Amino acid sequence: MLIPHPLLGPRDAQEFTYLGDAALLARPDGMAEGALGAFIDYVYLRDNPAGVHRELWFHEQGDRSWLVVTRNTVTHEIIDAQLARDVALARKGAVA
Amino acid sequence: MSELIPTCALGGTMPRTETFGALTLTEVADLALASLALRRNGVRPAPMGMALPDTGQWHAGEGIAAFWTGPDQWMVEGPGRAEEDFARLIKAEAPDASVTDQTDGWVVFDIASSAGGGRIVDLLAKLVNIDPRRLAAGTACRTGLEHMAVFVIRRADDRLTIMGMRSAAATIWHALAGAAARLEGSAT
Repeated sequence: MLIPHPLLGPRDAQEFTYLGDAALLARPDGMAEGALGAFIDYVYLRDNPAGVHRELWFHEQGDRSWLVVTRNTVTHEIIDAQLARDVALARKGAVA
Repeated sequence: MSELIPTCALGGTMPRTETFGALTLTEVADLALASLALRRNGVRPAPMGMALPDTGQWHAGEGIAAFWTGPDQWMVEGPGRAEEDFARLIKAEAPDASVTDQTDGWVVFDIASSAGGGRIVDLLAKLVNIDPRRLAAGTACRTGLEHMAVFVIRRADDRLTIMGMRSAAATIWHALAGAAARLEGSAT
C-alpha cells in the first residue's frame, strides 16, 4: 500500500505507523461542563465503519509528520492525505 | 587527563573505505552536523549566507550544506568541522531557531560511482523502497534501510550519502557493502 504524502509524494505504508480515528484530533476541554461524558466518548467510543474512514498515520521512517489519511477500509483505496497539523489548525480556526 | 585516542564509528582509528568494482564506500568521520528547527511562525534563516533547501532537497553553500528533514526542520552539515563547536556557530547564525548538535549521533557513509549515475540508481533500487528516479541529484529523504531509519542524500549524479544511527554503523556498513558487492559481482 502506498500513502500519497502531501509533501513527499507516494511512500510505502511500511514507513508509517497507524494510530487510529482522526477524531482523536478533537480532544475535549477537560474544564468544560460535561467533560466526563465527553472524555468517555473520546477515550472509549469509536465508529468502526466498513467504508470511508479518516485516520491518523505517523510517518515514522520519514519526515515524522502526522497525516490524516482518508481510506476506504473495504477496498484499502486511499482517497486523501493531509498534514494533521493543517487539519488541526483549520479546526482551531473554525472553532475560535 | 590521560591521552584519549579518537575512534571512528566503525571502531578504527582511521575511517574505513572499500571499493567494489565501480562503487567506493567511504566512512566520513569529519562531518559536523547540527539540526535546525524553526519556532512557530519563525522566519527561515540563511546560515552563513546559504538559503535553506525546500521540501525534500539538499543544498550546498560555501563550506556548509543543509538538507530538509521535516516541515520547518533541517540538518545543517559542516564538512571537516566535526571537531569544532559547529552547533554554536549555527546558533549564532540563526538565533531565533532551535539548534541542536548532532555530530556524534550519526554515522555518515559516502558512496561514489566511477561508472556514472546509473550505478547509483541500481544501488538505490537494492537499498530503499523509493523510486530511485525520484532521488535525483540535489534531493534528500529519510526512509527505511533494513528496518533502520536513514537519511539518503544524492549529492551529485554519481555521489550518494547514507546517514544513520552511529550505534548501528556496522549494520549499515554491512547492508551497503553487501548490496554494492552483489551489484558489482564481487564477493565480500
